[in-house]
Amino acid sequence: MNKWLFPAVTALAVLQGCASVPRGNIPVVDSSTRVSNSERVTAKRPTGGYNAGTAQAQTLPEDSGVTVMIPQGAGASGIQTFPASNGAAPISTGPVSAGPITSEPAASAPVATDPNPIADEPFDIASMSAPKASSAPTGIPRSSTSGGLSADEQLDGPVLALLTTAQSQQGSGDFNGAASSLERAQRIAPREPQVLYRLAQVRLSQGDAAQAEQLARRALTYANGRPSLQAELWNTIAQARDKQGDSAGAALARQKARVSS
Amino acid sequence: MTRTRNPRTPQKRPTGRSRAWLGWALKLSLVALVIVAGFAVYLDAVVQEKFSGKRWTIPAKVYARPLELFTGQKLSKDDFLTELDALGYRRESAANGPGAAAVNGNTVDLNTRGFQFYEGMEPAQFVRVRFSGDYVAGLSGANGKAVDVVRLEPLMIGGIYPKNLEDRILIKIDQVPKYLVETLVATEDRDFYSHFGVSPKSIARAMWVNTSSGSMRQGGSTLTQQLVKNFYLTSERSLSRKLTEAMMAMLLELHYDKREILEAYLNEVFVGQDGQRAVHGFGLASQFFFSQPLSELKLHQIALLVGMVKGPSYYNPRRYPDRALARRNLVLDLVAEQGVASQAEVDAAKKMPLGVTARGSLADSSFPAFLDLVKRQLRQDYRDEDLTEEGLRIFTSFDPILQMKAETSMNETFKRLAGRKGADEVESAMVVTNPETGEVQAMIGSRQAGFAGFNRAIDAVRPIGSLVKPAVYLTALEQPSKYTLTSWVQDEPFSVKAANGQVWRPQNYDRRPHGTIYLYQGLANSYNLSTAKLGLEVGVPNVIKTIGRLGVDVDWPAFPAMLLGAGGMSPVQVATMYQTIANGGFNTPMRGIRSVLTAEGEPLKRYPFQIQQTFDPAAIYLVQNAMQRVMREGTGRSVYNTLPRTLTLAGKTGTSNDSRDSWFSGFSQDLLAVVWMGRDDNGKTPFTGATGALQVWTSFMKKADPLPLDMPQPDNVVQAWIDPNSGQGSDSSCPGAVQMPYIRGSEPPAGAACGGEQNPAESVMDWVKGWMN
Repeated sequence: MNKWLFPAVTALAVLQGCASVPRGNIPVVDSSTRVSNSERVTAKRPTGGYNAGTAQAQTLPEDSGVTVMIPQGAGASGIQTFPASNGAAPISTGPVSAGPITSEPAASAPVATDPNPIADEPFDIASMSAPKASSAPTGIPRSSTSGGLSADEQLDGPVLALLTTAQSQQGSGDFNGAASSLERAQRIAPREPQVLYRLAQVRLSQGDAAQAEQLARRALTYANGRPSLQAELWNTIAQARDKQGDSAGAALARQKARVSS
Repeated sequence: MTRTRNPRTPQKRPTGRSRAWLGWALKLSLVALVIVAGFAVYLDAVVQEKFSGKRWTIPAKVYARPLELFTGQKLSKDDFLTELDALGYRRESAANGPGAAAVNGNTVDLNTRGFQFYEGMEPAQFVRVRFSGDYVAGLSGANGKAVDVVRLEPLMIGGIYPKNLEDRILIKIDQVPKYLVETLVATEDRDFYSHFGVSPKSIARAMWVNTSSGSMRQGGSTLTQQLVKNFYLTSERSLSRKLTEAMMAMLLELHYDKREILEAYLNEVFVGQDGQRAVHGFGLASQFFFSQPLSELKLHQIALLVGMVKGPSYYNPRRYPDRALARRNLVLDLVAEQGVASQAEVDAAKKMPLGVTARGSLADSSFPAFLDLVKRQLRQDYRDEDLTEEGLRIFTSFDPILQMKAETSMNETFKRLAGRKGADEVESAMVVTNPETGEVQAMIGSRQAGFAGFNRAIDAVRPIGSLVKPAVYLTALEQPSKYTLTSWVQDEPFSVKAANGQVWRPQNYDRRPHGTIYLYQGLANSYNLSTAKLGLEVGVPNVIKTIGRLGVDVDWPAFPAMLLGAGGMSPVQVATMYQTIANGGFNTPMRGIRSVLTAEGEPLKRYPFQIQQTFDPAAIYLVQNAMQRVMREGTGRSVYNTLPRTLTLAGKTGTSNDSRDSWFSGFSQDLLAVVWMGRDDNGKTPFTGATGALQVWTSFMKKADPLPLDMPQPDNVVQAWIDPNSGQGSDSSCPGAVQMPYIRGSEPPAGAACGGEQNPAESVMDWVKGWMN
């Protein structure tokens, strides 16, 4: 009899427990944490978490499309290359890469048509870089020459495509998505200042003025010889400084913007 | 607790002697009835609760970076095919359907599978990739039109498993491939669609087969019963459990339709063991055995998986291929017999090999060091239960191609150096990052890279030796009015009395002073005397502050010995510090994780790119220049025995006292690597930074073939011609004149032009000769 007692009591106890709620609605607490976790994360890091609500609440900055800059029609080859401004300097004797060889979006196109320009050249980095840049982009689709973002012809295929994606994400209030797409573009063309510029703009919209300023400053280091872009970047820095309460710094940046443009 | 006795009324017949017994019996049977009813209600609750709620806890899955494809991308065809193989792409003559690839000379056609990323859905699509040299020369879609950018699905590199180590990839029944359900039903429970949870017919058949053959050949369990057994019950074998199982199976059928039950079965079934991890469900089984998503499986693969249900370890196709093949073909016979597929299809399937991939480790086991990094970062933001139960999808920056190259470099170098006395006890660690994004791309925590254990890349804090020197020179070069790359410094013996009265007397590695030298030469040749002197001039605390601004907060005491690297860092910390130098003076916190999605593909969290400018790019430009000279003419020059001179690199060797630690840290434009070698017991090694760590580094750079370092020249830097002998200003027309960068205003006054024609190429050659010496 004792053997029966235990299951009997248990069964009754369970019955008792079940009786109080409708069938199928068992008094078991679902400790699933997805939702709470998401909230926790979002709460902790407002910039990192995905929160469409907040995002939409913010006002969109005036949107000028992917920025139109650098009307250097002549040399517009899809790759931003800069003729050495100080003449003879860069090419010659400096044994270590010297001089302003600059700002080719490192990973992007040009070398495709000339996959191994390096191999047999005599050792001279500087002189090697120059022809590489100038012989650039024949094999690259120039799809960017038409359509809404056409003026942005300094950018080519993948970067332009991702900036366009980011643009529409930003337009629909998905700032995290936009930032994420821009970081994708940045991985493809880490030295393209326009990508960093757009990222700075998104950060500004997200309320992260400090990062906006840093990104704009990083972009400036890649924007040699692109005065209108430099001016835009200084303006971004000015806005970011205003938001951080640094009006003197903002004024300084505005001044730089005027000098640049 | 839920032991069941089929409650019965007592067996004894009432005798005349005991009417009282009868009353008792009646009462007892009433009680029993209540118990049965109660038990049924209880079981019903159990069945519904578990089935309607979250049925399984799913470990978080960790993914490598997705491979991006675009025209102009630097990617060799071989590396691309390696990636496709790892992703389980089938090689076909023409790429048909997702997960298929066809190689024709320099062109690879493939059908990507599509994947949900943080930024949105990447559709499955046809892509034609044309290679030229080590570059992607063209990318086009199905209609032949050029495509801008395509992402492959990411390789899954591990999971974050709970204690019970049960893992699965959830699948939906409408995603399963043709034949799977039919084959399963034909093999395991042919009356599935007609029974009510238990099947008296199959029990009878099983009994008949078993008695006539004299052995237990067939079970009468329905799929529903099998599901109940795995899902709700322990593996105890008893009659009472069998009855509970039957009751629950009927209850399950009462509440849920056949499709739901099948779907649960497909996800629950146990199909194999991967080390400590139990592989559940056909979704994971497909990845585990074929490295392919379930939806792509063909009849012969389906038959193998279905056949394994009967005995996952007995029919393990990796361990017992013959048994597995026989079982598979038996299943295929059933398929033909019951008309699931035509005889011709079955015959074709039977001719196929088993087709399982060689190693079944998509588990924790493949890249333990990097996964360790990911877990540590995740644990800062998530609770363990979130990671092991919620099926989170973790997207990382891990690059399997670079990881394999790093591992191969490490192995080959150790093999080559094996002759050195004491080389066997030497351990090693390596960190590979992209300095432009701050992302960790590869990590090795032990010279046996696949060995999970002490992760030296993160946890081995060891004296960094001369790796600290760039911080000393950077501190000096930030004061252009006092120091330039061509300032004269004394490399002569000296001693200082420390506060505690001890006398510190630094020495050069070659135990010789080098007299009066250019400032940059102290770094290039890693001279201790001149570096220590310079460090004392700028102040030890300032050097330590510089290291903090480079991104590593060290709690080193401000002793002079810190100037020569007596302080310790882990390889990851070294990478952080060098990354700031590589990235133009912008510090980027190191990231291994890009984003996290929920199990349903909803964005949950992002780890954004963040930077902080902590140095004037001009000072960094000068330090980079000196670190390039380390490679051209200094302690790192052996790299150019292996690598082309066109590949501009910057770096620094490091060797701690008595060669206890051998370090090298250096970078190209897009790739930074830190290598450490040393013994766990801190004993002496036969290696210096140059003869040990640099060898691994060089081998890795050769395989990785990165872009040459090319920092844009900051506005406030000028190039000036100087006389290499005097350091005085010169002119481009002068014999031997060389160009050096200076922060504007600190350059020497320009010298007069020299008469006569000087062939500039010749002066370059002079320099080249100079380095060769």
